[in-house]
Amino acid sequence: MKRYDYHQPQSLKEAYQFMEKGSAGNARYIAGGTDILWRIRQKAVEPDALISLRGVEGLRGIHQNGGLSLGGMTLFRDVERHSGVVLDYAALAQAAAVLANPQIRNVATLGGNLCNAAPSADSAPPLLVMEAVVVLEGPAGRREVALEHFFKGPGQTVLDRTEVLTRIRIPERQPRTGSAFLKAGRLKQDIAVVNAAALVVMKGNQCAKCRLAIGAVAPVPLRLKSVEKLVEGQEISPGLLERACELAEKEVSPISDVRSTEEYRRTMAGVLAKEVIQKAVRDAR
Amino acid sequence: MKKTIAFNLNGDAVSADVESHKMLLSVLRDTFQLTGTKEGCGHGECGACTVMVDGLAVNACLYPAFEAAGKSVTTIEGLVSEGNILHPIQEAFIRQGAIQCGFCSPGMIMSAKALLDENPRPTDGEIKRGISGNLCRCTGYVQIVDAIRESARTLTGK
Repeated sequence: MKRYDYHQPQSLKEAYQFMEKGSAGNARYIAGGTDILWRIRQKAVEPDALISLRGVEGLRGIHQNGGLSLGGMTLFRDVERHSGVVLDYAALAQAAAVLANPQIRNVATLGGNLCNAAPSADSAPPLLVMEAVVVLEGPAGRREVALEHFFKGPGQTVLDRTEVLTRIRIPERQPRTGSAFLKAGRLKQDIAVVNAAALVVMKGNQCAKCRLAIGAVAPVPLRLKSVEKLVEGQEISPGLLERACELAEKEVSPISDVRSTEEYRRTMAGVLAKEVIQKAVRDAR
Repeated sequence: MKKTIAFNLNGDAVSADVESHKMLLSVLRDTFQLTGTKEGCGHGECGACTVMVDGLAVNACLYPAFEAAGKSVTTIEGLVSEGNILHPIQEAFIRQGAIQCGFCSPGMIMSAKALLDENPRPTDGEIKRGISGNLCRCTGYVQIVDAIRESARTLTGK
């Protein structure tokens, strides 16, 4: 295995200093490490130094005060067990509960999952439909980016090399809102073949607002705005769901790889779109 | 880069000189000769390397050794009490025939321990979820679930 230095800063300031010292431009931040450590072993990435964010004060924890604020270093374990998340942000709790396995969820972080920017990241669709904003902090200051604009491609985000994703903010859940997450894979704990989340705000039988996001079917986790538009203002009927299914199939641009084929992913994107909207409607209260 | 890390290992205060790229697994096996913890896949899929860090089950193969500093680490060896008395979970695994080749057993038992510490009376579904990060290629899991159910009963006294 490649040798690298391992720094354990206690503050963000200290973390930036280690990063700026990494003169070869080859230092990397590490959160839970469950992805990057494996990629180092595979020699897919070869950093000279890892800068651990585990000891940095204030990056872990969930605060529910109006909206939801989650520290970037919050463990999936904590997300799946948080009663407020389970109750009011069901899609996020459901995604956290099926991400990999218990051992991984005990160390893997929400921020790490987003910064990895895998198109299949399980936390992305729920956070996209909840219109989450990520807080990015670096030596040059602090900025907030809508999650929708955070991903640029597989493994690529708008993050500058020195920046850290410190916080994820979700707006307050409105009355009559429901959300849900679904994942297609050989086993639940596998990396998703396709995953999807929906959020709906109901007004009687009508869907006043719809948000739909699908993962692993494009270079980045995707909001399906045409489907959202189709559903909004409509009564949720079998016919409408069929049209949503067809439209979702058209909107995605999946690839074939070791986990699945382009065709299967496209079909499943439609199926999951339909089912996850139904599941979100059932969750609405 | 090298550092001396101090931590608690199976109840004892220990320290070790560790290189920065080493994982907890190699420190346990190579430095402390605790070879009960196994390396299977090396990337967090199989759970053969499961140990507990501050009470939580983690994959030692993906746990940077430096991060163990100041923490409490429990391995399969730590479940055995003085006089070589096996833990009730270990006893149940033997009784139920939940061990064949035995390679997954230490990790499986550590996951069971972490589960029962948090949830002393799990349903079968919760047991299966609790060991979903541990692969066994011999038993088909039925005896393992039986063993964990039995240990839950033993440990809660009913």
